[in-house]
Amino acid sequence: MLGHTRVTIRDGGPADAVGGVVPRWVALPESVEEISVVLGACADAGLAVTPAGARTKLGWAAPPERVDVLLDLSAMHEVLEHVAGDLVVRVQAGIPLARLAEVLAGAGQELALDVPFPEATIGGTLAAPSPGPRAYRYGNARDLLIGVTVVLADGTIARAGGKVVKNVAGYDLGKLFTGSYGTLGVIAEATFRLHPLPADRRWLTFECEGWEDAGALLRSQLEPSAVEIDHPAEGLSMVAALFEGSAARDRAEAAREVLGGGELRADPPSWWGRPPGSPLASLRCRVAPHVPEGVSVRGSLATGVYLASGATDLDAWRSRLPGDARLVGLAGEFTGDRWGPIPSLPLTRRVKERFDPDRRMSPGRLAGGV
Amino acid sequence: MTVFDRLEAVFPPDRVITDPVRLRTYECDGLTYHRATPMVVVLPETAEEVAAVVRACAEFGVPFVARGSGTGLSGGALPRSDGVLIVTSRMRRILSVDLDRRQAVVEPGVTNLAITEAVRDRGYYYAPDPSSQQICSIGGNVAENSGGAHCLKYGFTVNHVQALEIVTPDGEIVEISEDDFGYDLLGAFVGSEGTLGIATKITVRLMRAPESVTTLLAAFETIEAGGQAVSSIVGAGILPAAIEMMDALAIEAAEAAVACGYPADAGAVLIVELDGPAPEVESQLAEVIAICVATGSFEQRVAASADERAKIWKGRKSAFAAVGRISPAYIVQDGVVPRTCLGEVLAGIDALQDEFGIRVANVFHAGDGNLHPLVLFDDTAPGEGERAEVVSGRILDLCILHGGSITGEHGVGVDKARYMPRMFTDADLDTMQRVRCAFDPGGRSNPGKVFPTPRLCGEVPRVRKGSPGEIF
Amino acid sequence: MDPELIKDCVHCGFCLPTCPTYVLWGEEMDSPRGRIHLMAQHNEGVEMSPEMAGHFDACLGCMACVTACPSGVQYDRLIEHTRPVVEREHTREPRDRAVRALVFALFPYPRRLRLVKPFTRLNRRLAPFLERVHPTLGALAELTPPRSRTRPLPALVRARGRRRARVGLLTGCVQGAFFPDVNRATARVLALEGCDVVIPRGQGCCGALSLHSGYDARRFAKKTIETFEKAGVGTVVVNAAGCGSSMKDYADVLADDPDWRLRASRLKVRDLAEYLVELGPVAERHPLPMTVAYHDACHLAHAQGVRAQPRELLGEIPDLKVREISESAICCGSAGTYNLFQPAPARELGERKAARVEETGADLLVSANPGCTMQITTAMRRLGRPPIPVAHTAQVLDASLRGLGTVR
Ligand SMILES: Cc1cc2nc3c(=O)[nH]c(=O)nc-3n(C[C@H](O)[C@H](O)[C@H](O)COP(=O)(O)OP(=O)(O)OC[C@H]3O[C@@H](n4cnc5c(N)ncnc54)[C@H](O)[C@@H]3O)c2cc1C
Ligand SMILES: Cc1cc2nc3c(=O)[nH]c(=O)nc-3n(C[C@H](O)[C@H](O)[C@H](O)COP(=O)(O)OP(=O)(O)OC[C@H]3O[C@@H](n4cnc5c(N)ncnc54)[C@H](O)[C@@H]3O)c2cc1C
Ligand code: SF4
Ligand code: SF4
Repeated sequence: MLGHTRVTIRDGGPADAVGGVVPRWVALPESVEEISVVLGACADAGLAVTPAGARTKLGWAAPPERVDVLLDLSAMHEVLEHVAGDLVVRVQAGIPLARLAEVLAGAGQELALDVPFPEATIGGTLAAPSPGPRAYRYGNARDLLIGVTVVLADGTIARAGGKVVKNVAGYDLGKLFTGSYGTLGVIAEATFRLHPLPADRRWLTFECEGWEDAGALLRSQLEPSAVEIDHPAEGLSMVAALFEGSAARDRAEAAREVLGGGELRADPPSWWGRPPGSPLASLRCRVAPHVPEGVSVRGSLATGVYLASGATDLDAWRSRLPGDARLVGLAGEFTGDRWGPIPSLPLTRRVKERFDPDRRMSPGRLAGGV
Repeated sequence: MTVFDRLEAVFPPDRVITDPVRLRTYECDGLTYHRATPMVVVLPETAEEVAAVVRACAEFGVPFVARGSGTGLSGGALPRSDGVLIVTSRMRRILSVDLDRRQAVVEPGVTNLAITEAVRDRGYYYAPDPSSQQICSIGGNVAENSGGAHCLKYGFTVNHVQALEIVTPDGEIVEISEDDFGYDLLGAFVGSEGTLGIATKITVRLMRAPESVTTLLAAFETIEAGGQAVSSIVGAGILPAAIEMMDALAIEAAEAAVACGYPADAGAVLIVELDGPAPEVESQLAEVIAICVATGSFEQRVAASADERAKIWKGRKSAFAAVGRISPAYIVQDGVVPRTCLGEVLAGIDALQDEFGIRVANVFHAGDGNLHPLVLFDDTAPGEGERAEVVSGRILDLCILHGGSITGEHGVGVDKARYMPRMFTDADLDTMQRVRCAFDPGGRSNPGKVFPTPRLCGEVPRVRKGSPGEIF
Repeated sequence: MDPELIKDCVHCGFCLPTCPTYVLWGEEMDSPRGRIHLMAQHNEGVEMSPEMAGHFDACLGCMACVTACPSGVQYDRLIEHTRPVVEREHTREPRDRAVRALVFALFPYPRRLRLVKPFTRLNRRLAPFLERVHPTLGALAELTPPRSRTRPLPALVRARGRRRARVGLLTGCVQGAFFPDVNRATARVLALEGCDVVIPRGQGCCGALSLHSGYDARRFAKKTIETFEKAGVGTVVVNAAGCGSSMKDYADVLADDPDWRLRASRLKVRDLAEYLVELGPVAERHPLPMTVAYHDACHLAHAQGVRAQPRELLGEIPDLKVREISESAICCGSAGTYNLFQPAPARELGERKAARVEETGADLLVSANPGCTMQITTAMRRLGRPPIPVAHTAQVLDASLRGLGTVR
């Protein structure tokens, strides 16, 4: 059935499992057209498909109800176009972030996303975003994305956006697909706006007991690119702030004045931008959150986006958070409701119905069986 | 029972407008050559009232159009003569300001500038700054994903809206937030030009005001030299808050209107604004000046005070309206090209001027390649209006040819819907239509905008029973 | 309504946020852009319906929209041309008509106004009753300030020190009748700054009230020009914002008559603050240790564009703190006869302004227009707040120049 597509197909095995579900086949397309052919064939045969990048987060979100074909994008790893003068790059979705970073560094530029797992791909980063430290300054993946090519469940190839940094023509499909966890279609290519590499980077770290201590930094005009906290299950927390620019050092020093202490360094602390452990939950809370005993939390004091590890009873924790906070179980075993309330779920469902009426794209990975 | 009866039951009489003379004052937005008198105008004050109107529209199969301050430049708020115009100008309360969260929650009719004014004293501001910021509504900004001069560094509306309460086209009140896990519905809604529902509450990010702001005015003999300076500044790794450029004709107009005193004989001026921590701004300013001199700038002025800054900006900000003083009529175009193609595209526009005998003044957000060519014509001279239309359309073709866009910030609206097929394939447009159908299967929310041909949604396709069978 | 003037409007909406009626109601047809649209409709042949007339009547004529407009739309001229059309084509309710007739029979005539003044205390008590008869009568009664002693001003006040100029002073009808102290202070300040001040007797109304309401102002204009010509002054200093703005328009009002137009354009009209800044300070400023809030009168700030000068003059006074009032561009609702004919929105605007004034925490409210200060203190009284003391810019300067240490 997939043989006629001429796309590389192999049998799936336990190493290809998605949240414990082993696919029958793994397809390795090499172009947008090949993705389309595979998806078209899967549509004809009613096969369920899960796209995959470097598989660093394939186990995040709920396990899919079924997977017949794992669509592995690792063969699509090219930089298609890098116009340094425009600070724009167009890539295939399977390119690892680290490889892209190397290419861009050659021109003194970067895609301002933090890379927790160097092998993670662009497609995976868009489909399963989890903002890193510098999201405070540069935004999330969705904020840097200016154009996409996606392939829908029925094989339709669609583009949105473009290769200019400013563009409001038509709906922004790229944004819609960020956070889709492979349930809407396949991200095949993406275009990003880039930033010049900063002249210098300095970190200021300091230990503290409360979360409020870093507030002065956020109220200052020193423009940190990131303000992160590492709140371990036991012991003192550490806050680290990053300053970027030619005067990074002066600003970091000024920040030390503001805080009345701290250590200046040229490299980040070891925990910077790494998940705190497992099981892993995503926490969004814009004020200092209540953290239960035995739970470690890392993330951005500036944006209120954290990863937490050690909490298994999500309902209990949720009940002690402010109303606008969100706590979602990402990876691992949890008791209680994995998703928590999602007011927009009915709309999400309706979008899913229009894009994937047969429920063949990673069905059941998101809340409400989407 | 008609939709009127339903509206009259919900609203006091002074908030339902049916008098034809009054209705006509709503016939257009900032783009005045598309006009239609709405069937009825309502002025809701709460989300529940908006929802009630939208439900009434659903019940009677009547289309509706949202309108904020009516400053849109693409006819997005053009009413339907068979529909209800829902005007948010009375929903203008700032509901909360929370500086610990660096957030404000506002109603859609609040003006863009009002948000900044509410927090300026405390050292904060709302970053997106369309030139119309004193009057355009935040709801309109959300619908258009509006930008402004300072978006080069800080991004557009979509980068600063954190959550929305919306009334969906079936009249439900739903919240969408950047904190939601799953599809970025918020990102899809922002910029949807009122076709996916009506925003009734907006949570925006507030930013700390920069420590230092410096504005530089650099004059060049030619627009090419100015363009070269832009490329070099960006190439040097500097990200100014804004880089704006005006050509000789635009300078002439601004001079006539506000006597901005830009250097005489300049073929182009560049306005570069740097902001941030003081030491950072200082070192960047020196570098920018050096680059301008190296690329041939014959005069540079640095504004030292807020007053001097305002003076430099005055010419730029008044440019649109000022063109009215050197030409009886004009079209404001909005297109985007990759920054590196600026020179070629400007040469192309020059060629068009010669070919059609129509003057074009160029004002643009040079930092992000967003052109605002002002196509000048005399509406009393036979045929000139049509020729200006053609030139205006050709400019968009040039943008598309160079991989750009037909709109950078004014939106597609009714005006540019016909250009959409030049930028997108049928498959692209059909895919966008799926989003539309998910939100608005009845096609009642601002129909006829953005997309060239009305498409029907049909029922949600029934689930096809797959047989992941033993075929292979 | 000149179609060419209408065409200048590009429908950008920049004028909306400063328009008081738009601020109140958020409706297009009660915004400058909407009103210009209505004028265009009328030009196209749409009749002057009661609805349309209502939106023109609701316009305060504050001209904030003129200041705000980047395209240079001359709304001031547009509305001045529209008012007479409304009067001609729109038949008002009989009650409205009677009240308008009363106001126009009374206000432009200083003598008649002085006659009603003794009754104004009584009027205040009668206000609730009058209100029931017609809202305008209530407004009229509420506004009239308590009596104060009147001593006629001399016909000439000589310059102190070296004489630098010779100017005429317009005493104004409302100003002259209700606020004689302001004229006295104005004359003293001018004299202390080295001006001979000529104050011709028998000045009438300058025509402002009529001009701003669509009535013929030409007779008043001619008489005023004549008076000052006879007095032999080339420059007339005006301390009432509304009068200054209409006098500056004389050439336009008398445009049909070339001879009168010429005479009008020969007469230099200056607002007091504008004139003093042009002249430059010589007299010593003594300290006034107090905090004042400066209120922009529309007819000064918008119609005459005089915004910086009063602030500059106040700023030069040692120890005086000047506070800005937020929403300063928005009218207080007084606007000439507006509070008389449109009492409900006028009140709402007055109360809004009163709240903003209170926020400043100032000891004294300073403005160049008696109508404004009356309006704001009346609003405070209505809100049950202790009304803030008020003064004209001239009185503050006078107190400083004379070293009184405080205003009154
Ligand atoms: C501490 C930390 C910091 C991080 N910082 C950032 C950051 O700054 N910015 C940011 O954006 N991300 C950030 N991430 C996310 C990170 O980049 C992920 O590692 C990445 O999303 C995984 O990519 P992958 O190629 O391994 O995807 P996979 O693990 O292979 O797949 C992840 C999910 O995406 C789907 N998917 C993969 N490819 C596609 C495709 N082409 N089309 C559709 N669906 C697809 C899969 O079905 C799966 O559901 C961070 C993560 C952590 C833990
Ligand atoms: C002189 C001038 C300068 C301008 N400069 C800029 C600029 O620098 N940058 C820029 O981006 N734009 C600019 N604009 C365009 C315009 O101001 C913006 O598009 C603005 O966002 C429109 O806001 P509005 O409230 O006037 O919306 P309207 O014109 O009333 O409506 C615009 C669109 O938004 C929809 N809409 C309105 N409210 C809602 C709501 N609550 N929910 C959903 N949909 C809604 C309408 O249906 C319509 O499609 C300028 C316009 C003018 C006249
Ligand atoms: S004069 Fe004042 S009230 Fe009248 S339209 Fe202009 S701003 Fe509004
Ligand atoms: S600001 Fe001027 S041009 Fe714009 S709508 Fe108002 S009157 Fe018209």
